[in-house]
Amino acid sequence: MSATTTAATRRPPPWRDVRVLRLAFQALFLVGVIALVLFLLDNLVFNLRRLGIETGFDFLDQPAGFAIPDSDFRSTQSVQDAILQGARTTLAVALVGIVLATVLGIVVGVARLSPNWLMRRAAALYVELFRNVPVLLIIVFLYLAVFLRLPPIGRAIEWVDVFVLSNRGLVVPSLRATGSTGPFLVVVALALAAAAAAWIWRTRRFDATGEPHHRVLWAFGVLLVVVALGFLATGRPYGLSLPERGDLGVANGFRMAPEYAALLFGLVLYTASHIAEIVRGSILAVSRGQAEAADALGLSSFQRLRLVVLPQAFRIMIPPLANQYLNLLKNSSLGIAISVYEVTKVTRVSIAQGAPAPQSIGILMLVYLVFSLAIALVTNLVNRRLALP
Amino acid sequence: MRVRTIGLATLATAALLLAAGCSLGDDDDDNGGEAAPTGTETTTTTTGGGATGNVLAAVQNRGTLNCGVNEAVPGFGFVSEGGEFEGFDIDFCKVVAAAVLGDPDAVEYKPLTAEQRFTALQSGEIDVLIRNTTFTASRDGSEGANFLTTTFYDGQGMMVREDSDYQELEDMEGATICVLSGTTTELNLESQFQARGVSYTPLAFEDNDPLQQAFQQERCDGWTSDKSQLAGIRSNWPDAQGGPDALRILEVTMSKEPLGPVVRDGDDEWGDAVNWAVIATLQAEEFDISSENIDEALESDDPEVQRFLGQPVEGEPFDAGLGLPADFAVQVIREVGNYEEIYERNVGADSALELERGINALWTDGGLHYPPPYR
Repeated sequence: MSATTTAATRRPPPWRDVRVLRLAFQALFLVGVIALVLFLLDNLVFNLRRLGIETGFDFLDQPAGFAIPDSDFRSTQSVQDAILQGARTTLAVALVGIVLATVLGIVVGVARLSPNWLMRRAAALYVELFRNVPVLLIIVFLYLAVFLRLPPIGRAIEWVDVFVLSNRGLVVPSLRATGSTGPFLVVVALALAAAAAAWIWRTRRFDATGEPHHRVLWAFGVLLVVVALGFLATGRPYGLSLPERGDLGVANGFRMAPEYAALLFGLVLYTASHIAEIVRGSILAVSRGQAEAADALGLSSFQRLRLVVLPQAFRIMIPPLANQYLNLLKNSSLGIAISVYEVTKVTRVSIAQGAPAPQSIGILMLVYLVFSLAIALVTNLVNRRLALP
Repeated sequence: MRVRTIGLATLATAALLLAAGCSLGDDDDDNGGEAAPTGTETTTTTTGGGATGNVLAAVQNRGTLNCGVNEAVPGFGFVSEGGEFEGFDIDFCKVVAAAVLGDPDAVEYKPLTAEQRFTALQSGEIDVLIRNTTFTASRDGSEGANFLTTTFYDGQGMMVREDSDYQELEDMEGATICVLSGTTTELNLESQFQARGVSYTPLAFEDNDPLQQAFQQERCDGWTSDKSQLAGIRSNWPDAQGGPDALRILEVTMSKEPLGPVVRDGDDEWGDAVNWAVIATLQAEEFDISSENIDEALESDDPEVQRFLGQPVEGEPFDAGLGLPADFAVQVIREVGNYEEIYERNVGADSALELERGINALWTDGGLHYPPPYR
């Protein structure tokens, strides 16, 4: 009797077996989701056809027709190339923005904890001001009220060929290849390897003997000397391209357009105010005993911050920082308000010039998804490396 | 037991979705001219019955016309100081509303940017787009748009500051030129400068406001747009910036820009209704019927005029089968006016824009407007 009960408990009929039911419901749910997606897609394609709108992706190979300033893109190139060019601009804004926002955020965040009253208050004012204003407003304000108000090109501010500043952009000297650059690039690679070797040597020496390693100084010194010697030895393959002001613009040099600058600085100022709070919170989260131990060891206040507090604070701040980086990337789409040709702007112009909207928006979403996942991947790797075992 | 109920519900939902997928598709198949995938009228007017002009019926049921317009071009479509929409294009929204609904004020104006307009039309957010939109092949072909009678024959021009040396496009080598993005002018700018071998930097904005700021601050050297729009902007140029005399529009005409109302593809009856409402203003000018003398015209003995105004000829009012009231032309003329009145009121020689009729005159005066006969 008891044996049959056990057998029945072990093997109930399939319609009462929890494992079977679970699988069945999951399969049903999956079918439901797939059916919904298929239905929506079918509905979309059907309606697009009925409205006489293209349903495929052939439009990507059509000539774009419009021009993109400050790029090598020509209007005869395809829509696909235009979107790629836009993605490059988005990436340029996001990467430079992330670096600058991180540096500014850490500085402000540390300043908020400064014993100096003025510095602490100034940092707090900055954070409260920029954290509580919409980023679009900051960007538009910077563009209309700051960068457009710079003097027009006819009255540009110039300083002995080093920079030309007007509302057509800031132009600084750039490098220009004057000869064959191949051998020099090889030398640069060698210099980097030598610098790395110097770094490792100094670290080992420090570990072995305990004498100060000065590895940053050593590595940079080696790098500079090798690059400088290589530059002379390979016949000076690069020259300076100095800005020359004309009536309508500046020739030569490297130019930062006011639109790009307004977007970049708007995003940096806004994101840095959030990062500063993350930095402050992370530093406060490091146990007070750690700082006291550092004091007891006789470390200076800078050493205490650099060697004891910040390394532990970094571990806490990486995940929320990643969020801010993703926000910065996505906020770069606000560049459309001030005519920055990043990927959202280019996609919208393509749509207005005849590219079908659903497919174009789909591609746009894919671009942001790829960028976001890349940022998440990098920050996760850093997070894993910093995590305590 | 509970788990099983949920499972059945899931199954039922999935089946329902599949069934809905098929049946909705079939429904749409029947209504060749159905409005839009997301429009609300889709659900209210699924009467079936072939291409029976669903938008016309929807507008008449709703009692208002959704008209996609511009809000930033003086003379054509802008918001006045009193908060009213005014302009040449706005008056044609009123013309359509007067013809279809008998009330020129039964219009819901939907201000749109150049980049939004076709999406708004495709999605059914608006019934008709009257927003200085150029008739082009690719828009007709791939934007799902149906272009109707041209209301304004325009051409692309270039506006520069009075104190600059520019006389023609060839002088503009290296210049920065501001343009609205998502327009035909953006494409013409590129092809015209390329054809002339003149290099330039385009700066394309979504809105006229930041564009105007950029031009005022000398961020760009030229502003290209339709000549009529440039004239409107010039006429409204702030006195602090030197007023209209601070600006100059170059002689060159860079393109053909026929502007007119646009409706969605696939609803011919609605297209016909809008089209003939517009043609009525031209026909009225040709017959010399205006809002002033419409009552006298109703008494006219001329059978052509009688037919046009929907008055009984030999006992029966003429019905062209457009789905409009027989006397729609009377409503249009009485409430809004004929083409000449609309033109002079908004953009003509006495308005701030001071545009001559030029090619926008009737064919009888050497212009391009040639209304098809109403019979």
